[in-house]
Amino acid sequence: MRRTLKTLIVAMMLAGCAPTGPEAPRAGSDPFEVAVYDGAFATIQQFTTPGGVSVWLVEEPSIPILSLRMAWKTGTTSDPIGQDGLTDAVTYMMNEGAGDYDTQAFQTRMEELNMSFGCSAARVSTACSASMLTDNLENSFELIGLAYASPRFDPDPFGRLVRERAVGLETRQTNAGYLASRALVEALYPDHPFARQISEDSLAALTPEAAKAHKDRLMSRDGLLVTAVGAVSPQQLAPLIDAMIAGLPETTERAAPRPVDMASAAPAPILVDLPQPQSLVQFIGPGVTREHADFYPLAVMNYIFGGGGFGTRLMDELRVARGLTYGIYTQVDPDAYLPVLAGGGTTKNESAAEFVDAIADEMTTMAETGATAQELEDALLYLIGSYPLSFDSNAKIAANMMSLRLDDLPVDQFDRRNERISSVTLEDVNRVAATYLDPARYTFVVVGEPEGFTD
Amino acid sequence: MTGLAALATADTDPTAWAPSQFTLDNGMAVLVLPDHRAPVVTHMVWYRVGAMDEAPGKSGIAHLFEHVMFKQTDDIADGEFDRIVTRSGGRSNAGTSWDYTVYYEQVAKQHLATMMALEAERMTDLIIDEDPEGSFITERDVVKEERRQTYESSPSRMLQEKVFAEFFRGHPYEISIIGRMEEVGALTPQDGQAFYDTFYSPENAILVVAGDVTPDEVRRLAEEHYGPKQPSGLVSDRRNWQALAPLDRTVAVIHTDPKVRQPVWSRYYDGTSLLLDRDRALALEVGLQVLGGGSTSLLYQRLVEEQKLAISVGSAVYSFLRDGGPALIYASPSPGVSLETLETAVMQEIAALLEAGFDPADVQRVRNTLAADAIYQRDSQMSMARSFGAWVTIGGDVQDLLDYPNDVRAVTTEQALAAVRQVFRPDAHHIEARLLPDMEDAE
Repeated sequence: MRRTLKTLIVAMMLAGCAPTGPEAPRAGSDPFEVAVYDGAFATIQQFTTPGGVSVWLVEEPSIPILSLRMAWKTGTTSDPIGQDGLTDAVTYMMNEGAGDYDTQAFQTRMEELNMSFGCSAARVSTACSASMLTDNLENSFELIGLAYASPRFDPDPFGRLVRERAVGLETRQTNAGYLASRALVEALYPDHPFARQISEDSLAALTPEAAKAHKDRLMSRDGLLVTAVGAVSPQQLAPLIDAMIAGLPETTERAAPRPVDMASAAPAPILVDLPQPQSLVQFIGPGVTREHADFYPLAVMNYIFGGGGFGTRLMDELRVARGLTYGIYTQVDPDAYLPVLAGGGTTKNESAAEFVDAIADEMTTMAETGATAQELEDALLYLIGSYPLSFDSNAKIAANMMSLRLDDLPVDQFDRRNERISSVTLEDVNRVAATYLDPARYTFVVVGEPEGFTD
Repeated sequence: MTGLAALATADTDPTAWAPSQFTLDNGMAVLVLPDHRAPVVTHMVWYRVGAMDEAPGKSGIAHLFEHVMFKQTDDIADGEFDRIVTRSGGRSNAGTSWDYTVYYEQVAKQHLATMMALEAERMTDLIIDEDPEGSFITERDVVKEERRQTYESSPSRMLQEKVFAEFFRGHPYEISIIGRMEEVGALTPQDGQAFYDTFYSPENAILVVAGDVTPDEVRRLAEEHYGPKQPSGLVSDRRNWQALAPLDRTVAVIHTDPKVRQPVWSRYYDGTSLLLDRDRALALEVGLQVLGGGSTSLLYQRLVEEQKLAISVGSAVYSFLRDGGPALIYASPSPGVSLETLETAVMQEIAALLEAGFDPADVQRVRNTLAADAIYQRDSQMSMARSFGAWVTIGGDVQDLLDYPNDVRAVTTEQALAAVRQVFRPDAHHIEARLLPDMEDAE
């Protein structure tokens, strides 16, 4: 995977040079430069539209569709105190009516255009994505533009949102995954903004007016990141994007949260009661961000230990040899604010304590004796050899490019990643295993009616 | 909304893309779905065997056997199958349904031959561990954990299992694909061997390759790897189950669990599947989508948006089964609304809406949405390979899938309405399902 980086000016777009045809875009008369990065996995065209929007585009002519992603670096941590759920409410309402279209008319219009458009929020980002047929580009962009410029925030769909979230508050009380992650949050960073969640009180405090005002804190022309994959050229796309974002505010103030300072690991597994025949086990410990020298060694070590499905230490021992579980996994999450190593699996209540002990034992073994040269070779072959599978659809490529952009990673990151992985040595892997797989770093939670634990 | 209809075209050019089909001398069918966007392929082998083919008392063997296929052969040691795939940068998995079993690998295209060699190897040369503490028995424990995870920890899944037992009574579909816990726990390596000997043979298999390959390359590789496999001659005409008989009773099925915090109500009626009655199934897909498909549907507008009695409501048909096609209507109440109130309101609305008839504009919009889905589906190699593979394996014709966008656009308002009216006719039987909190344990 040699990387080839050639930045070229391939297009100078002038007024009148736009693609011809009855629906050729007329906006965007300023020239703009397109830099082409011809990588091993995608040929990415980077440009800034005349309207100032930074775009990464992969042209893919073989299917008449466009996958479009738009994101901003403000997320649910921007919820005002006492109004947890407000950012979520904004994103929910973005396809619930705009301009003259009420919710029903807006949804109907999307169906008529055979397009989709919707938004969602994460802790520190808000993203909207759309799919459309290239035959309907102009009308589809126009509808998204209407949602950005004049979303209605009508009381009816807002009331529906509140009813749905009220049901969610009920159902989460018996959701094993929610109970496990909540117990871990309460144990490890109860006072950080990442621990905030929607509640009955905060739900009661949400109003359409508050959501409408909050939208302008999330979505602005400034700070908008766009990625696109499909049968469209930069010259077609730029004016469509510029028209789409014309109604967004120019700028907004964005505040990043402080990094999470995780508490020490709980000395014993946290037990949460839930009436079911099986226990869900999850564990989490401190990791590193992507910039840290240990990140790539950790990624490789994780694959060997529990990240790679069949053939990992955990699957071989807990599933294949002992039949204790349908699946167990670990993962490295290099989140900029909360980097962790985490994992989980399920087992019948009778074997819950045995399961937790076996995970800890495998951690200790790996930390003390390390991986084998064969395991490292197998891991590198998979991690590099499988990477093209992440680039076999328009939707995947658009999503992958957006995750680079949200993490401020360079356009050649897809190729750099393989270079960094292939340079990881056995010494690197064993060093990080010894450091990061100490069971004492991990907080375990067990949800169910587990047996074998002494309180 | 007038004047917008002309925009709602999602035409597919039938000459622009097409799969290739051929059959090897040993009877193994081959289907090639070209997609040259990325240098990767999806390689699948489908077998015409599923949970419907299990002997009485042996429920779960089709699915457990699928797990066992990842163990050892005479040339591949235990654990090596996955290792060869991952060292090739590949991902593999498998799936079992009532009607079929599928094994697949996604991999960079230069490793396609290796994947074919692996699948060909385990088609005929599997070794089943007869040790009472060996890998077959351990895998049986894994499947029991899978059942605990996906069924017994999920109240809605447990309800569905009970409902299907009623709806499909007398047909093999009455048993969940994963099998009954006590029957799974009694399966033996000998059961596995008998199942393998009966159903795993090239003439009972269909090869599907999607991705950056040409039909000629696939033919050459398939003849090299699968061609030498001799047909067992055992599998022809074994699948003699008949289409499901119409419901002859109305039954209510209730499942309670202390974990349930949000009740759900549903009813299952006789519908049909695309294989059993293509025209009616297409009409039913369109009609049930107009009635209850998504937030623009009639039922959603009435019950969620206007009356605010439900937080969700919908209708759909299981149109991809070989022997049956349940038509489903479901709803979940807004806080404070009883299931009885909700049920009455839903059935009243259905009666009123079917009396009034459908707006042709709604029908047209739904038809175009279903047709456009076929274009969006082409973005996923895996999804394409799954759809075509499943359809051909249950006995469908590739041309039917290629014709789907045009055929679904040809459904008239009258046909869609008639199909839905027939499902909900006053004398129609149904299975009703209620998911409820366990009142003793509820707070």
